[in-house]
Amino acid sequence: MAEFVQLLFNGLVAGSIFGMAALGISLVYSVLHLVNFAAGDFLTLGAFTTFYLATSQHLPFVLAVILSMVIGVIVSLILEFILWRRIRRSGAGMLALFLVASGIAFILRQSIALTFGSDSRRFDLDQLTTYEFLGAQIARLQLIVLLCASIAITGIALFIKKSNIGKDMRAYADNASLAAVSGINVDRVIIATWTISGAYGALAGVFQGTVQGQFTNGMGLDLLLAILAAVVLGTIGDAYGALIGGFVLGVVMDLSTWDALAGGIPSTYKPVVGFAVLVIVLLFKPEGIFGVRARKI
Amino acid sequence: MTKPLLKIAGLEGGYGDIKILNGVNIEVPEKSVVTIVGPNGAGKSTIMKAIYGIARVTAGTITINRDGKEIDVLATKPHNLSKIGIGYVPQIENIFSAMTIDENLDVGFIPESGKPIGELKESMYQRYPDLVGRKKDRAGQLSGGQRQMLALARALMSSPKLLLLDEPSAGLAPALVDQLFDELVRINQSGVTILMVEQNARRALEISNYGYVLDMGKNRHEGAGKSLAVDPEIVGIYFGKRTTK
Repeated sequence: MAEFVQLLFNGLVAGSIFGMAALGISLVYSVLHLVNFAAGDFLTLGAFTTFYLATSQHLPFVLAVILSMVIGVIVSLILEFILWRRIRRSGAGMLALFLVASGIAFILRQSIALTFGSDSRRFDLDQLTTYEFLGAQIARLQLIVLLCASIAITGIALFIKKSNIGKDMRAYADNASLAAVSGINVDRVIIATWTISGAYGALAGVFQGTVQGQFTNGMGLDLLLAILAAVVLGTIGDAYGALIGGFVLGVVMDLSTWDALAGGIPSTYKPVVGFAVLVIVLLFKPEGIFGVRARKI
Repeated sequence: MTKPLLKIAGLEGGYGDIKILNGVNIEVPEKSVVTIVGPNGAGKSTIMKAIYGIARVTAGTITINRDGKEIDVLATKPHNLSKIGIGYVPQIENIFSAMTIDENLDVGFIPESGKPIGELKESMYQRYPDLVGRKKDRAGQLSGGQRQMLALARALMSSPKLLLLDEPSAGLAPALVDQLFDELVRINQSGVTILMVEQNARRALEISNYGYVLDMGKNRHEGAGKSLAVDPEIVGIYFGKRTTK
């Protein structure tokens, strides 16, 4: 029981991070029809800028996190204005967009290594305090990450559902040509999309770095496949689906190591389980969990 | 004669290198219903798309007259057209099918209309009572007729002066076509000017004050709606095949 609780909790923490990162990818896809393969490295960027601001510049940690989110947004918007916008206007296809995104990922990863070095980092946070809950050891930092991520996820879900710009984003994702003739400012929608993606990517990166303890500039890349699996699982383009897909994947991956399940699998194989789930779901529901409802965001 | 609400003069353009409009002139007087008819490929829908920057304009002007001031429509960004009083119902995919009916109305609203959104939505539900019980349903679940009502309601949410309709009766069952044209008359009587492109030419011209016949991207013929609808030459050349289909 204790082990189950422990794994479930770990899974929820991992899932909340997957969900936040997956949300950005899904939103960007639904609005811009672009699979942002650089999303993983935006997580890394968030973790490293937070480390730099908090540890090297001695800013309060929360302030460092907020500034890192701002930096994530700025970098995303710069790329939109100098790169993506022009590439879209040139009528580039999926493959071209994929290659550009992969290129950005590579440049970002190496720039982080050049700027901050390639040593592993660790946030100066209390990693040791744990609470006992139903026999499981719950790390205080994990609990904080899960709480903050849950707030962030609820906040963004409400924002997309209720706010005017959220409705505009959904309308644009649903029917771009009608949105463009319905008084919706398309540029504003695109800026909002990159803003959410940049801010939530950075935040997810900080959370992942916190949970992981140590991290290197390869952190985001290591997570990217799991994040993309969460996106596809929740139906690509469906923001709520991405959040749920993230949780499902996180929980399944962690629970798969449970001893009671025929001894469980070694934890290094967790990603394999994640992809097995993805393959099985896609076999029966090629459009992802929420595909039948055909919801775009 | 007073200045027309919308004036299209010498409009030329098309898609990419393909030229579809070869100098179209259309005037839409305030509070009137004007219909553009013509065979397939005449460029009817392209005019609407030119207004919204979807089709390319190479020559000509489109202006709207607001309170005595001429506003250059082609220089206005598409998302600002509702602010200068133009509403548009495209022919297909004219609702947000993944969103609820209520949200569809939210998206059409512009604060510039000066009316509170709640009041406007309420008046839309009064106008289209079929939609009231389905506020929380996804618009994609509506029937063809209800979709068209929602599409009209969406466009009316911005309190337009001029409503542009691209083939409003396309795909509707005959009984619904009658309802639709009755509704267009009601909308017009409430003070909204209508410019429509319609394949059901006779039916549309009957409710129109004025009609234009377009062919090969040029004005071919024009006149009062009712007289065009029964003009044997026009009927024979342009609508014969279509109306018997």
